[in-house]
Amino acid sequence: MLKTSFFFSRELFHLAWLVLGTSLPLSVQADDKTDLFEQKIRPAMVKYCYECHAGDPDAVQGGLRLDDPVAMARGGDSGPAIAAGKPDDSLLIAAIQYGDLKMPPRGKLAPRIIRDFETWISAGAVDPRDSQQKESARNEPTIDWPAARSQWAFQSPMIHAAPNTINSTWPTTPIDSFVLADLEGANLSPNSAADRATFIRRLSFDLRGLPPTPGEVNRYVSDNRPGSKRRLVDTFLASPEHAERWSRVWLDVARYAEDQAHKVGSNDSLTYPNAHHYRDWVINAIANDFPYDQFVRMQLAADLIVPDDKREHIALGFLGLGPKYYRRNSPEVLADEWEDRIDTVSRGLLGLTVACARCHDHKYDPIPTSDYYALAGVFASTEMFNRPVNETVEKQDNGQAKKPKDAYHIVRDGQPKDINLMIRGDVNKQGEVVPRRFLTVLSAEPVRFNNGSGRGDLAAAITARSNPLTARVLVNRVWEQLLGQPLVGTPSNFGALGEKPTHPELLDDLAVRFMDHGWSWKWLQREIVLSSTYAQSSHLSSAKRRIDPENRLLSRMTLRRLSIESYRDAILSVSGRLSSTVGGPSIKPDQPQEHRRTLYSQISRMNLNPMLARFDFPDPNAHSALRFETTTPLQKLFLLNSPFMAHQADALATRLTQHGGSNRSKIEWAYKLLFSREPNPTEISLAEKFVAQEDADIWTQYAQALLISNEMFMVD
Amino acid sequence: MQSLYSRREMLRRSATGFGTIGLCGALQSASGTTIRSTDGDIPGVVHHAPRAKRVIFLFMNGAPSHVDTFDPKPMLATHEGESPAEDIAGKNRAAGYMPSPFKFAPQGESGVVMSELLPKLSRHADNLCVIRSMHTDVPNHEPGLLLMQSGHQQPTRPSMGSWLSYGLGTENENLPAFVALCPGLPVVGPQLWSNAFLPGQHQGVEINTNHTEVDKLIDNISHPNLSPSSQLKQLQLLRALNAQHLESRQSEPSLETHIRSMELAFQMQREASEAFDLSLESKVTRESYGNSEYGRSCLLGRRLLERGVRVVQVFYVSKGQKQPWDTHKNNNDSHRKLCSDADRGTAALISDLKKRGLLDDTLVIWGGEFGRTPYAQVDKSKNTKNAGRDHHHTGFSMFMAGGGIRGGLTYGATDEFGMHAVENRVHVHDLHATILHQMGLNHKRLTFRYSGRDYRLTDVHGQVVHDLIA
Repeated sequence: MLKTSFFFSRELFHLAWLVLGTSLPLSVQADDKTDLFEQKIRPAMVKYCYECHAGDPDAVQGGLRLDDPVAMARGGDSGPAIAAGKPDDSLLIAAIQYGDLKMPPRGKLAPRIIRDFETWISAGAVDPRDSQQKESARNEPTIDWPAARSQWAFQSPMIHAAPNTINSTWPTTPIDSFVLADLEGANLSPNSAADRATFIRRLSFDLRGLPPTPGEVNRYVSDNRPGSKRRLVDTFLASPEHAERWSRVWLDVARYAEDQAHKVGSNDSLTYPNAHHYRDWVINAIANDFPYDQFVRMQLAADLIVPDDKREHIALGFLGLGPKYYRRNSPEVLADEWEDRIDTVSRGLLGLTVACARCHDHKYDPIPTSDYYALAGVFASTEMFNRPVNETVEKQDNGQAKKPKDAYHIVRDGQPKDINLMIRGDVNKQGEVVPRRFLTVLSAEPVRFNNGSGRGDLAAAITARSNPLTARVLVNRVWEQLLGQPLVGTPSNFGALGEKPTHPELLDDLAVRFMDHGWSWKWLQREIVLSSTYAQSSHLSSAKRRIDPENRLLSRMTLRRLSIESYRDAILSVSGRLSSTVGGPSIKPDQPQEHRRTLYSQISRMNLNPMLARFDFPDPNAHSALRFETTTPLQKLFLLNSPFMAHQADALATRLTQHGGSNRSKIEWAYKLLFSREPNPTEISLAEKFVAQEDADIWTQYAQALLISNEMFMVD
Repeated sequence: MQSLYSRREMLRRSATGFGTIGLCGALQSASGTTIRSTDGDIPGVVHHAPRAKRVIFLFMNGAPSHVDTFDPKPMLATHEGESPAEDIAGKNRAAGYMPSPFKFAPQGESGVVMSELLPKLSRHADNLCVIRSMHTDVPNHEPGLLLMQSGHQQPTRPSMGSWLSYGLGTENENLPAFVALCPGLPVVGPQLWSNAFLPGQHQGVEINTNHTEVDKLIDNISHPNLSPSSQLKQLQLLRALNAQHLESRQSEPSLETHIRSMELAFQMQREASEAFDLSLESKVTRESYGNSEYGRSCLLGRRLLERGVRVVQVFYVSKGQKQPWDTHKNNNDSHRKLCSDADRGTAALISDLKKRGLLDDTLVIWGGEFGRTPYAQVDKSKNTKNAGRDHHHTGFSMFMAGGGIRGGLTYGATDEFGMHAVENRVHVHDLHATILHQMGLNHKRLTFRYSGRDYRLTDVHGQVVHDLIA
């Protein structure tokens, strides 16, 4: 009896049978039949049926509207409910008689009312109401494809000539010309460049997720040779810390987790003790600047692309570590799982909300339900595979590892099959068979996915150079990480309800050049951070605040807050405790003695670590488009009182006291470690006064105040 | 002034503290201007005066038996041992209709019929609105729990408490809007109070009521070794440091938000410590609730409600038992024990709310994820002596009280065997719609734009059950 409840209840499925014939007279002379309708039928419908079957055509249950004669005549999801003149053949009558279907659901109508409906239908089901509808408006997809493809996101991105600007010296990269042209259009000028110490702190957090060391700051600030900035960027890009920081960006997209949201008893079959191998694969790929198109293809279809290279198959964790729901063998739950895959792939890689088309054609974008099931077929033809980590472990008859700890959770091809479209998302209500293929709007001609499950074909279609979305979506995500806000404000929805790009030509230009440069993550990041746009100070004048409060024009660098990962890592780094080990099993990040980077945190769908959950880490049950930024007292209580913070404050105090020298020199050292700058006289005197108090752990208290002050987690 | 606040800032501002103002407040304060959520328009949300300001959901994990509590079925005795005529799930472990050994009698002036297992609660019969015609979609705990708590069977949607927090915020900015009291984790776990795609401050704050000391009840409520006076000095230093940082960044509203939030946290240490400290209650009061996990949760729930917490979710679980009401065996003995505990805590809570004049605008809800079979469940030995009852989702009972709900009402009915809700059926979605309605929210308009569409607690379902409303 388990059923999908994604959009519709069981009542609705029953009602979906109630579909009306089309031969009803639309207008008749006022006569007895009309009176019967007006006196009995209409009031009964208003009272008992309209709550679910009137009004907004998109929201009515079963697609059946009873408040409009034409819509009523058209019926709901399938087949006539009223056979005029034949009450016994009318499903409406069967429903109100409480046969297989029972309407209205809240209780059977009085026999008198049921008789009225029978009489009305016997007499020809006359309906004198005026219609607001055109007769033809059935649910047929009537997408005007050429028009649909003319929407900006479906147009191929192009290289654009850099616009001319009045100020010709500021732009150092094509990015800057696009930005400056808009600024000049708004009578704004860009901020001057941030000073070198500010710049290296920003760059270090952006590229490595960590603050620069005082030595690094000194070297950069005093490096007067040409090319110093580029050398700094290249050093950071080449560091293992860079790969660690950027892996997390991808793991948000991939809704990476190491278990499922449910567990039956002590059954551990839905835990993934080896999930971290997938995380390590991502770290490695990014460290080696694995081209983004290949990066995506491997995660969707490594088993088909490099069948013999077993190590690479770990990339399939992208799919294999995805949500598996309770009672996953039932068709309804399987269908829910396909939706997860489609949602992650479509929003995550294409910036399209294809899952919206599971139950009905997409309301706003050119994505018919058939497109959804064309993709669902790919995932229906793919099975979860718990590949044994080696030959020695216990195996089941089907070749899969018996225990989670002995398995890599990946996928493999199952029996390839095209599946039926499910009307209104109901697994019990099958429509036509839909061949596996790519989204219509992104295909010049429909090409079937015939190679096995079709995953390889899907991966190729997503990463085809002709696909207008994939490169733009990634460029936009990287831009958001580096500038604090994306060019397209809805990074996983480039459709009609998404935001338009603030700088469409810049986005296009960068996307094309990104592909031209071999889909290189590092090229893209270098290109952005070497721009004058990125180098601006974050100073916010009151004029700019008035004219461009959200910094849509990029008239400055946005003042940014560190993610929980960077904040925790920075705390460990400045207190001298950060472990530099790369890769490996997961940790509990709020343990005081845990010194590994936050990237390595255990990620649970069932019980997300409270520290992560409190600091806006996204729910790993679904793809995350963008992180929220909340500021709550519970976060501050963690900073004030948690054993983790107390421990790190202690460690920093130890580091400061070990530095030796006067109080003043310790204070100066603290500012260099934490904020990459010298303290001002007020800050020195505040601190000197504070640490002069008689208290054994006064330096710990001081250290904690620094660690939880705004400057620690804000980046200029 | 208003035009200076961008959308982003507005969202940040409303994310201050515990979201004191909530979505409604934010919208009202923006009088006349349209505020947008992440990427879509939010229509007005509050549409009518609320009948309830706060809600406490007493959730009986594992699912209590309706035919032993609120829905007497004499036919079960007449047909004892007979198999139901229809095809039933779990047939091989079913052992025919099993009458309830417990006596039922009408209570109060209204004559609401209740089992002898609930003597203390019976005294509040005229406040109770018993719904005998609840039904849900599946007879399995995980999806049943998720449906009851989030309106959806998969763990991907915000819980009801999160929706209420998002819609209404909290009345006390020193306390969270939504608190989940659970002495041990229930089946499914934290997803039951998850904010899912809503912003993080709407997540339920989990409190483990196994503990009694304030320090252990609420994480990080006090410093491990710093005295309050030392901490105050530290806070003063912090204020000064933040002021230095702010000086050259005057135009950045987010910095002030952080400063304010830190002050709130500092205040909270005292206020929350007081709110969570049950030792401040008299011995008589504590005894009236009972010194069980559930009793303590009810008492703590009352303290939180009266201090302005919007939603209190009590889970009836204990340290080793994730679903005590799941009586597959020994149904009768287990219900004796469980009801005795639940009766005491629940009745004490309702008495207390009444005494304090809080019941009128506090909505109390009691029930589980579904009901239990009117027929027996036995193990392989087929011995019916220790028979249990299996999961049952097509008809079961819940009750509501206070918060503008009609007291003394018995609503809906199951068939003569207690198998299926047949009259005035109320689905979980309808219950949610009704709860939101009582809180002044239109369940069709409390939406959040995510992943390309507007989501709501009741998805595309749910009808307010106006018959339940006083």
